[in-house]
Amino acid sequence: MSQLDWIILIITLVAIIAYGLYKSRTSKNLEGYFLSNRNMPWYLVLLSIMGTQASAITFLSAPGQAFTDGMRFVQYYFGLPLAMVVLCITFVPLFGKLKIFTAYEFLEERFDVKTRAFTSFLFLLSRGLSTGISIYAPSIILSSLMGWDIFFTNIIMGGLLIIYTVSGGAKAVAYTQRLQLIIIFAAMFFAGYMIVQLLPQEIGFIDALTISGSNDKMNIITTGFTEDGYNWKDKYNIISGVIGGFFLALSYFGTDQSQVGRYLTAKNITESRVGLLMNGLVKVPMQFFILLIGVLLFAFYQFKPQPIFFNPVQQEKLLQSSKKDSAIILQQQFEKINNQKEIALKNYTTNKEQTKQAIHELNASGEVIKANYKKLFKTANIQGDDNDTNYIFLRFVIDYLPKGLIGLLIAIIFLAAWGSIAAALNSLAACTMIDFHKRFRKKESQDIDETKQAIKDYRYSKLYTLLWGVFCIIVAETVVGMGSLIEAVNVLGSLFYGVILGIFLVGFYMKKIKANAVFIAAIIGEIAVIALFILDKNGTIGLGFLWLNVVGALLVMLLSVLIQKITK
Amino acid sequence: MKDNNNIPLFKKWNYWYVFVIAVLIVLIILFYWITKVFST
Repeated sequence: MSQLDWIILIITLVAIIAYGLYKSRTSKNLEGYFLSNRNMPWYLVLLSIMGTQASAITFLSAPGQAFTDGMRFVQYYFGLPLAMVVLCITFVPLFGKLKIFTAYEFLEERFDVKTRAFTSFLFLLSRGLSTGISIYAPSIILSSLMGWDIFFTNIIMGGLLIIYTVSGGAKAVAYTQRLQLIIIFAAMFFAGYMIVQLLPQEIGFIDALTISGSNDKMNIITTGFTEDGYNWKDKYNIISGVIGGFFLALSYFGTDQSQVGRYLTAKNITESRVGLLMNGLVKVPMQFFILLIGVLLFAFYQFKPQPIFFNPVQQEKLLQSSKKDSAIILQQQFEKINNQKEIALKNYTTNKEQTKQAIHELNASGEVIKANYKKLFKTANIQGDDNDTNYIFLRFVIDYLPKGLIGLLIAIIFLAAWGSIAAALNSLAACTMIDFHKRFRKKESQDIDETKQAIKDYRYSKLYTLLWGVFCIIVAETVVGMGSLIEAVNVLGSLFYGVILGIFLVGFYMKKIKANAVFIAAIIGEIAVIALFILDKNGTIGLGFLWLNVVGALLVMLLSVLIQKITK
Repeated sequence: MKDNNNIPLFKKWNYWYVFVIAVLIVLIILFYWITKVFST
C-alpha cells in the first residue's frame, strides 16, 4: 500500500474515533447510555439500523457472491420489508408502551423471569460469538491480501471502536454509524464507477450487464424449482427469500437487542416506525447495487486476466504443497482460457451473439478448472479457507484501483465492521446490565441513593461494554486458523433466531399459553433446530439455513400449545 | 416512548404499510424483467 493510502486510511479511522468521542456527551445514567435519552430522529434510527446490519462482510462478500453465483442473493432480503410492516404494527408500539431497555424485559412481563433470562442468555451467546467472528472474518481477508499480522488486525478491527463505544454508548454508536455509512456509500459508488471506467472504451454499462447476464449472473429472480420439484437445499430463491427472509428479519429486528436497541433510541413511536419502514424501502435496492458491483466486476474480468484463485496466501500454500504440479497445470489451462476469452471479445462489437456464446462456453470450461483447483486444497490438506468469494472485490481494489482509493476502500472495511460491532457491544452490555446485573442484584444495594445508584449503574455499563469488547476480540483471536468461518456468521444467527422469535410470537399472539409451556417448548425447539442443522451438515437431510428460522419459530409455537394442553 | 399523531407523508399508518409492500412488489416485477432481458 502506498504512503497516500496509509495516510487516507489512518486519517479516516482517527476521524471516526474523534467524532465518536466528540459525540460521547450523554446523561450519566442507563437511559442516556443505552438509549441516548430516547431522543433520536427517524433518519438517525434508519442509519443506525442499516449500519448495524451491514457488517464488513456485507461489503466484501456481496460483490464476490454476485461474481460467483449471480444477483440472486438479493432475494434473501425480500422478506425484510414485510417484516418491517409487522414490526411496526406489533412490536414497536408494545415496546414503546412498556418503556423497556431490552426486548427481553417484555418476556418477564408476559411470562416469567426464567423465560426472560433464558432468551437473553441465548442472545448473549449467539451475538457474543458472532461478533467475535465478525471481527475475525474481515481481518483474515485483510491480513491475507495486505500481508498484515492477523493478531494486530483483529485488535484494530475490534479494539479501536471500543474507545468511543465505551465512552459514549448508544449516542456515539448512532452518530458514528451515520458518518460511517456516508463514507461507505460514497466509496462503494466510486468503486462501481471505476469498474465501468476501466472496461475497454467500446464496452459500456449495458454491455457489461449483457456479458454478465449471458453467463447467468443476472439471475435476480429464481424460483428454486427444478425438474424434481422445489429444491429445499437451494439457499436463495424468491420463496425462501420471502418466507425464510421474513422470519429471519422479523426475528433479527424484533428480538435481537442489537437492532431493538437502535429503534428504542427514537424520540417517539412515530420516529421508530418511520425509521424501520424507510429501512424496508431502501434495503433491497441497496443490496441490489452492492451486488451489481460484483456483476460489473465479472464483466471486467472477462477483459482482464482473472486469477484462478483470489486468495494469494492460500494459493501460495498450494504451490508449496505436494499438489504443486497439478496446481501449475490447472493454472496454465486457466490462463489459456483467459487468453481465448481476450481473443473472442475482440469481435464483441461486430458479432455480439456469437461472442456471447463463445464466452459462455469458455467460462463453463474455466469453472470446471477452478473447481478442480479448489479440490486440491482438500487433497493437499491445506488448512484455511478454500473459498475465495470474499477476496474477489478487495483483490480487484488492490490490483486495479488508483492510489488513495485503495486506502479509502480498506478504511470502509474497518468502518463497516465498527458500525455493526459497536452496536453489538452496546446491546451485549445492555442485556448483561439490565437483564442480569440489575435484575438479580442483592436487594440491599437497591436501597442506596438514586443518583448514586444511577452513576454506579452507568459505570458498570461502561465496564460491561469494555469486557464484551475484550471477549469478542478473544473469540476472534481463538478462531484464527480454524478454517472458513465467514458463513458461520449467517448460520449462527439462524440457529437461535427462530426459537427466540417463536417465544416472542407466543407472547404476542397466544394469550392462553403460560410461562412453563413456552419455556419447555423453547428448550425442545432449540435442541430440534440444532439437530436439524447437524443432520443437514452430515447430508442426512437437505435444508437451506434460512428455513431453520421458520422451523424454530413454528416449532416453539406448536409445542407451546401442546405442552399447555398436556399440563392443564 | 410516546406516540405523536403527526404521521409523515400519509394520513394513516396503513397507507405506509401498503406503500412499503407495493414498492417491494414493483421491485420484484422490475427485477424479473431485468432477469428476462439480460439472462439470454
